[in-house]
Amino acid sequence: MSISTSPAPPRSQVAETTRPARHEPPIIVFQNVSKTYPNGAAAIRDVSFTIPPRDFVFVVGASGAGKSTIIRLLIREETATKGHVLVEGQDLARLRRRHLPRLRRKMGIVFQDFKLLPNLTVAQNVAFAIQVTDPGRSHLKEKVGEALYIVGLEDKLNTFPTELSGGEQQRVAIARALVHRPRIFLADEPTGNLDPDAGWGIVQLLLQINHRGATVVMATHNREVVDLCRRRVLAMEGGGLIRDEQEGQYLKEGEANL
Amino acid sequence: MNPIPALRFVVRVALQNIVRNRGIAFASLLTVTLTLLGAGAAVGVVFALDKVLQQEESQASVLKVFMADHISYASALNLEHSLASEPSVQAASFENKDQAAAQASSTLGLGGALHILETSGGGNPLPASINLHLKNIAAVTAINNQVSTSDLLFPGPHQTDYNKDVIPRVEHYILAAQLGGAILVAVVGAVALVIITISVRTAAFVRRQEIEIMKLVGATDWFVRWPFILEGMILGVISALLASGVLLGVGVAFGSGGSLALGVGVRLAVLISLGLILGGAVLGSFGSLVGIRRSLAT
Ligand SMILES: Nc1ncnc2c1ncn2[C@@H]1O[C@H](COP(=O)(O)OP(=O)(O)OP(=O)(O)O)[C@@H](O)[C@H]1O
Ligand SMILES: [Mg+2]
Repeated sequence: MSISTSPAPPRSQVAETTRPARHEPPIIVFQNVSKTYPNGAAAIRDVSFTIPPRDFVFVVGASGAGKSTIIRLLIREETATKGHVLVEGQDLARLRRRHLPRLRRKMGIVFQDFKLLPNLTVAQNVAFAIQVTDPGRSHLKEKVGEALYIVGLEDKLNTFPTELSGGEQQRVAIARALVHRPRIFLADEPTGNLDPDAGWGIVQLLLQINHRGATVVMATHNREVVDLCRRRVLAMEGGGLIRDEQEGQYLKEGEANL
Repeated sequence: MNPIPALRFVVRVALQNIVRNRGIAFASLLTVTLTLLGAGAAVGVVFALDKVLQQEESQASVLKVFMADHISYASALNLEHSLASEPSVQAASFENKDQAAAQASSTLGLGGALHILETSGGGNPLPASINLHLKNIAAVTAINNQVSTSDLLFPGPHQTDYNKDVIPRVEHYILAAQLGGAILVAVVGAVALVIITISVRTAAFVRRQEIEIMKLVGATDWFVRWPFILEGMILGVISALLASGVLLGVGVAFGSGGSLALGVGVRLAVLISLGLILGGAVLGSFGSLVGIRRSLAT
């Protein structure tokens, strides 16, 4: 996304800061993790960091830096070639395939391309996540309504995704990711397809989700958002972690503006 | 997990898959039906041939040992006992001259001729005999050689009406039918399996987005698989019903009396149908499992 000239929301609009629980055991650990894809591409190299519960972390870096690979390792779509990825103390390399659903139900996951089902309504899209994991769960309607209320779409229940703006579609995806009340929320370029205002709305929502107690990891190119939020930043370059700052910015202080 | 809504979900997706991808589903249906038709027909033919063989064998394994007219009842009984204790003999029974005459008049229609002979002073010409039921037709020759040396017996060969050529020939046909049926079923079955696999793979491709989301939100592998397995099973069972229908139709059209064509009875027909349904379900679910495997790889 280009650096926008549209009025950025004032700093005061950024949701209240949530204190990460640094005294608790970390909820996410990367221990000297390297990932080489089968075709030989070394996507990340010797990356180490820990994330305490309720932290809000931006993963930034140029295209190909390895941001998505970090997300894919966290949801165990990929496994590390070297090192260890731990989620709530569980080494994902040793997670059995039949326990994968349990991991995924702890996580809310959204992507740049929303991944909504076009032939289902907003409410059906959100309900889908419950129907395929916990069919017969009671109060389905209430749970769906609640999730859509959080993202501000309670009046769009019967609308189809194609009738929504990009920002609204991403909100539906977030609502779907929320129905399991995840402790970890992962977002890979959630604002990548959105105009600045809509993107900012999504970031607000993620901050709010963090404020409610979830740990949030957001991979992004969005410099404006990162610079405005002043949250933790993990900066990737060529597969390596080059910066880990608590109240970081998209570029290092004094780094040349690209 | 509550089974009722889960089942509803699985059934709905399976039926949608079939309706949405009806072209390839129809192709699966056709090939599986052909496979099962071949299998069912082969079973019917083998059954009919086997019945012929059984008849031949049961006739061949009865050996009538004819006795000389002069022997006493006691020595006849003695002989019967000693023959009955032979390991190759299942049962032995004595048939006296009168019984032989009665048998001849009822089954051979010789009553009139026998009557004329007896009343004209010729007496009953039929010999008494010991009827041996052998366990195995292979023992016929050995027993025959053994008894022919006894002077208690009516001179001459003690043959059965065993036709040496018939049994090997029928056995040959049975083997050919079994082999031909097996090859037919194997070839058409392989084609059917491939087409079911393609059918389910198509359905999975059409639903790739859904499958991706299901995995993302934490659905289990089995929950992802079940609709596709059910899809394959439904196609298999419908094919089996079609095949059974065709076979029954042909069977009734060419049948007579209480049985269908080839002398297949109702019981066997029902068994074949059930077998085909089971076969269709197995073929369908196996094809589905193979078809869905790739979608669950990651
Ligand atoms: N499935 C894959 N197979 C092979 N190589 C891959 C695969 N996915 C990513 N890569 C490579 O790994 C490196 C890191 O990719 P990754 O998707 O993590 O980057 P990214 O930081 O998310 O980039 P972007 O900002 O464009 O999304 C790239 O060089 C990419 O080409
Ligand atoms: Mg990426």
